Amino acid sequence: MLKIQNLSKVYEDGTRALTDVSFTVPEGEFVAVIGLSGSGKSTLLRCINRLIEPSSGDIWWDDVHLSHVTGEELRRARRRIGMIFQHFNLVDRSTVLTNVLSGRLGYVNPIASILGRFPEEDVQRAYASLQRVGIRDKAQNRADELSGGQRQRVGIARALMQEPGLVLADEPVASLDPALAHSIMRHLQQINREDGITVLCSLHFLDLVQQYSTRAIALNQGKLVFDGAPHEIDDAKFVEIYGREAERIG
Amino acid sequence: MRSEGNDSQKGNGRIRKLLILLVAIVLFAYATEVTQVDLREPLEPKRQENLISLLRELARPDLLSYANETLSTNISVRMPCPEEVKASQVQNEGRTVLLIPNCATTTQDVLSLQGEGFPPNASGLVRWYPAESETTRRLAEFKADANGTFRVDFTMPDIRETADPQRIELQELTARHITGLSDTTLLALDKIVETVLMALMASTIGTILAVPISFMAARNLMTDIKLPLAAIMGSILLLPVGGWLGWWGTQQLVALAALISGSAFVGLGAAVVLAALAVVSVRVNPALSPAETKVAPVAITGLWLGTAVLSLLTLATLAQVGLAAGAWLQAHLGVFAFVGNFIFVLSDLLTLLLPALVGLVGILVGMSLGGRYGQEAVIRLPERAARLLTLGVTMGGTAVFVIGVCLSLFWVNLLGIREYVPETVGGQLQILILPALVVGGLAAAVSLLRPPKYPYPIGIATYTFTRSVLNITRSIEPLMMGFVFVVWVGLGPFAGILALTLHSVADLGKLFSEQVENIDDGPREAVNATGANAVQSVVYAVVPQVTPHYIAYIFYRWDINVRMSTIIGFVGGGGIGFVLQRYLNQLQYSRASVLVIAIAVVVTILDNVSSRIRTRIT
Repeated sequence: MLKIQNLSKVYEDGTRALTDVSFTVPEGEFVAVIGLSGSGKSTLLRCINRLIEPSSGDIWWDDVHLSHVTGEELRRARRRIGMIFQHFNLVDRSTVLTNVLSGRLGYVNPIASILGRFPEEDVQRAYASLQRVGIRDKAQNRADELSGGQRQRVGIARALMQEPGLVLADEPVASLDPALAHSIMRHLQQINREDGITVLCSLHFLDLVQQYSTRAIALNQGKLVFDGAPHEIDDAKFVEIYGREAERIG
Repeated sequence: MRSEGNDSQKGNGRIRKLLILLVAIVLFAYATEVTQVDLREPLEPKRQENLISLLRELARPDLLSYANETLSTNISVRMPCPEEVKASQVQNEGRTVLLIPNCATTTQDVLSLQGEGFPPNASGLVRWYPAESETTRRLAEFKADANGTFRVDFTMPDIRETADPQRIELQELTARHITGLSDTTLLALDKIVETVLMALMASTIGTILAVPISFMAARNLMTDIKLPLAAIMGSILLLPVGGWLGWWGTQQLVALAALISGSAFVGLGAAVVLAALAVVSVRVNPALSPAETKVAPVAITGLWLGTAVLSLLTLATLAQVGLAAGAWLQAHLGVFAFVGNFIFVLSDLLTLLLPALVGLVGILVGMSLGGRYGQEAVIRLPERAARLLTLGVTMGGTAVFVIGVCLSLFWVNLLGIREYVPETVGGQLQILILPALVVGGLAAAVSLLRPPKYPYPIGIATYTFTRSVLNITRSIEPLMMGFVFVVWVGLGPFAGILALTLHSVADLGKLFSEQVENIDDGPREAVNATGANAVQSVVYAVVPQVTPHYIAYIFYRWDINVRMSTIIGFVGGGGIGFVLQRYLNQLQYSRASVLVIAIAVVVTILDNVSSRIRTRIT
């Protein structure tokens, strides 16, 4: 269970990205985070795995006080939280296999990994993850030789390597063709349903939200303005979330 | 209204352009004055003559050595002139030579030498064999016309009065063979190799040092590093401890190694056994098995220490054996004696540098241990205990820092106070301890202003410091560094290598760190999110992104170092520049020309190779 209480983030330049956000995510849910660009979706996701330091508030994940762990404890917490990025964030010049194996860095022996050695079972696990997302044959290719959809699948395989209990997906399909978007979303849905991994996924398109998520939360200027089932977002709610000038598409 | 505004804007624009033009004219007028542009002087005939003779020498590089076949024709000259002035005439193989007059009384007397019956366009030298002298003097050159006749007028450079006639010789060049490369060319080849190798050494050592520095000088890697005071002060506190332990311990090991290898063969055997033991200790170390294991950290630390001691002892013993073997090889290998010398120098270097290097590693280990335990303690301890710990560590750390700064100040004697302090380091320490502790106490008091967990931006402080040092070092002319090192280690290429290395470290450090700052931060974010530690994150997300740029810069720097080492040679830093300067000073331009050609060829080749490699990698 992920519990977020009164989370606020003020950047050093004074921007209030999150204000007093509280919500709870039971295990195994697929939560869509929606809102306009700049509404604080990325900040919220990054506060959870502490790529961004929250200014105040608490984040609990089961019995780990995520917002307050440091050093070794933070690393141990992070290795069970997978993250998928809008721009994939792969190391272009490394092979797909190395990219996927890097998901294992929190588990393996640091010195051995610096020398490039991974346990055989982790290498097998990497091939299995690639198999699962359907690009096992690309394992030895350089990451920059892959197409956008394939690159995002490498991102998912990397997250799977972490044996995560929670996956944070930050606009995972915003840089992809709509046709590819469904394929990526289905992979996320699959790991959510089959592995029971909790997914927090920020999304732009409402039809994707309604098709894949079990729950939606909405942010507007850093404040939580909606928390409920996706089908509850009617026209009135829509205006509340996206503002008057927005038009509903899709 | 609007159109008026536009007009006035247009007017402003014109005035501004006019002003810029005016400023430019004044600037260039002043520049002409200051730089003493003068077109009249270079046009003077004397200057032109000098220029032409210089260019002629430069255009005739002394590349090859020749053997000349000559035909000598001797004719006699009298000094002083007898009362009745005559002419002399001799014949030799169909050639007739006439000297009018055949005597000279003063150095102003003009003598005329006429030849007939020479082969068309034949040329040669006229030499004089002064009486009672072992050397000859060159009087003139001659060149026959198409009919085989010539006439040259000359004066005697010196008057040696003798009763007997003296000899003048016409050395006619009849044939010329190339016998090989001239001495100058051979010297140039030798020195250009030295230069290229100097540049190679400087680039290599420079790269090794610049890579870790470049990470410290990259803003994007350093901004996030914030540590509580106890961690920062803990590393400062353990810095001298680690350094001293490493240095002192290794010295004991080196002494032990010297004891073991009293006989070279015993030493070799010992080295093999020690190396085998070291390998075994690495093999059994669970810390190196790829999967995470749960063994007591004390056991692992002990194993690491054992491995380190064994490896160091192996190295030290090998160095001792190398010293003996190198000396023996140098005496017995003949032409390949340099291999023996190399082994000897390498072993010697290893023996000398091992304690210093291990001391450096000790410093790093001490700092990281101090930092880690300081941080963990502050996190785990209750507020009050953490505060107390921070107080104590701050006092100690500041004291160590103050003592370190003062000792270095005494050493360089910047303030001229060396004569007022004790000579030995021990004595200096004694007078420093009390004031250092007082300053430490003050610092500890100031540290109370913040809570013990307050994250101090030590990363950005390190970044600023490293960058400043790099920028200052880079801006110092390598020529100056060469001069300083020549004073320190003496004339020769070693001084040049040190100067180039220092400059390379600063230059590459800056260039490398800019590449690190230019990387895509996404992969780093992703790798950090997997729970990787700082070093893993650098190895997996930063290194792959910067490697091609680093390699390109290393070649670029090698290229620059070759060029710079010619300049550094001018202050005695070895290499080809040293010889070039000598020839220029001795006005031997045709020899200098050979060196210039050698430099040009090598620089062109390197330039080509490095640009090819750069385009291929990136």
